[in-house]
Amino acid sequence: MARVEFRNIRKEFVDDNKGTFTAVAGSDFVIHDKEFVVFVGPSGCGKTTSLRMIAGLERQTSGDILIGDRVVNNLHPKDRDIAMVFQDYALYPHMTIRENLSFGLKNLKKPKEYIEQKVSQAASILGLESMIDRKPRELSGGQRQRVAVGRAIVRDPQVFLFDEPLSNLDAKLRVQMRVELSELHKRLEATIVYVTHDQVEAMTLGERIVVMNNGIIQQIASPTELYANPQNMFVAGFIGSPPMNFIDVHKEGNVLRMEGGEFVIPDSMAAALSKYENEHLILGMRPEHITGEDIPVISSLDYTYSTKVQVVEHLGSENLVYFRVGNRTVTAKVHPETTGYPGMEKTFIFNFDKVHFFDPETEQRIDW
Amino acid sequence: MKSRSKVIMLIVASVILVVWSVLTIIPMYWMLIGSVQDTKSAASFIPKMIPDVLSVAPYERFFGKTNVMRWLFNSLLISTILTVTNVFLASLAGYAFAKLKFPGNKAVFWVLLSTMMIPAQVTLIPLYILMIDVFDLGNTYTAILLPGIVSVGNIFLMKQYMSSLPTSLIHAARIDACGEFGIFWKVILPMAKPGLAVLAIFTFVASWNDFFWPFLVTNSAEMRTIQVGLASFVYADTTDFGALMAGATVAALPMMILFFSLQRYFLQGITIGAVKG
Repeated sequence: MARVEFRNIRKEFVDDNKGTFTAVAGSDFVIHDKEFVVFVGPSGCGKTTSLRMIAGLERQTSGDILIGDRVVNNLHPKDRDIAMVFQDYALYPHMTIRENLSFGLKNLKKPKEYIEQKVSQAASILGLESMIDRKPRELSGGQRQRVAVGRAIVRDPQVFLFDEPLSNLDAKLRVQMRVELSELHKRLEATIVYVTHDQVEAMTLGERIVVMNNGIIQQIASPTELYANPQNMFVAGFIGSPPMNFIDVHKEGNVLRMEGGEFVIPDSMAAALSKYENEHLILGMRPEHITGEDIPVISSLDYTYSTKVQVVEHLGSENLVYFRVGNRTVTAKVHPETTGYPGMEKTFIFNFDKVHFFDPETEQRIDW
Repeated sequence: MKSRSKVIMLIVASVILVVWSVLTIIPMYWMLIGSVQDTKSAASFIPKMIPDVLSVAPYERFFGKTNVMRWLFNSLLISTILTVTNVFLASLAGYAFAKLKFPGNKAVFWVLLSTMMIPAQVTLIPLYILMIDVFDLGNTYTAILLPGIVSVGNIFLMKQYMSSLPTSLIHAARIDACGEFGIFWKVILPMAKPGLAVLAIFTFVASWNDFFWPFLVTNSAEMRTIQVGLASFVYADTTDFGALMAGATVAALPMMILFFSLQRYFLQGITIGAVKG
């Protein structure tokens, strides 16, 4: 296995009609040996382009890509010692599963015995033995996905690349495959680069997550770090489901005023926000840090706020209650037995222990 | 009301289709019964739809002609070679235009496509001069074959078909250490079988039925194709209609067998490129 390094990678697409589009704008990062790194972001953020540049399916406009200690800029995909699993599986439809698994090794002119051993090993790891002589069309979506993973495993590559491999599966199968991929990573001790637009997938699979938007890396961190300390509003809003709430507040001394209420914040917090005296800033709070009044106030940083409930969603293990603050809709994650219905006047508790503040112009987090 | 208008539409459509079918079938039926009647009956302006006497004499006269088997062989050879070259070269070019990035891809394709707008009659004389005068290929198989080795229409058809094949398979094969020709040969061609079958049928039928070009560039009886050979039943002051019809029936037989055995592909071929996926 090997590390992967991006050195100031830039990728531009030139279209005769639409002009130049910057897909990746100067990426710099290192993926460590045996690490599971997830690229996450909305459509068009540059995550798949980054993956395809590692694979050699796209050529970067500038910068260097290293796999291990080799600069692979000019290497053909087959010479990069990588394997890739595609979103649509990309299994060869006219070949059996055995032929699909062995295709790459045959092209590499590996000995027959070696190929057979590798194929049966991969089939055994992924539970494909019983269907080894079937064609892909005879397999279910989950089984096809396993074959696609198997095709990567037999290659023993330095780096595994996954391009949204679970997006064509149903929700239940996706959870199952997620667990299997996690186990596979531990078993193979492989360097894995995984692309997804699903932040739940990113959080559950990745040891580190690269959050991207508009071709720019927003933050690289572990899932817990990303969740607890997002560097900007994009990361805060993208990571977490439901996303973080943003509320416009106006700072006046120790008072944060917002529509329909105000919070008196401690001196330390007010001092950290002194730059925004008599100015607006954005308060960020995760839904689970806004609870119903049924939960007693236990911290000195718990503040109450009363308003009318707009919508209540019953999820079984919890309820999501939506209400408005100014022109923004705020979500509270409350206990399933908390009473509430649309139009009901209700008091919510804001836990300021976990509050974030963001600069309204730069959208960067303000440390306090 | 709605169902009544639907019924009327159905009746109108059925009548049109029946008339169309009759108009299509009558010439073939005429040819068939003409081939088993005496020359006089076969040549009558209003043909007898049910002949009084059936006779195999026209077939005897047709096969009695010295070079008939040679003409059939020539047609088969030329059609087969042109089918193979068209399938191979058009699929290669179609794949390149559809899936490979190279400078001038679009421009070259549009230039090629624009040549389809030039009527064949316009290029006929320059092509004739090129083959006969410049290359001195008169009365040879090469002269018949060379201009038809691959047609732009077939390249266009294959480009449309190849565009519908998933690009991720090409990328997967590239990562699987497959060379560029290997990708075409081992991955693309097996997936493109339905498209190739349609292309093969179209080309074979067109080559088999071609009359004018083989007629132009050949001048000996041995080099004629069956379609050109049939013209030899038209004499200076008379035409042996019976033998002509018998020859036409024999010439049409391979096409009919080919069409009816592969009509599924034909019908599929009509929609190629219309729907992605």
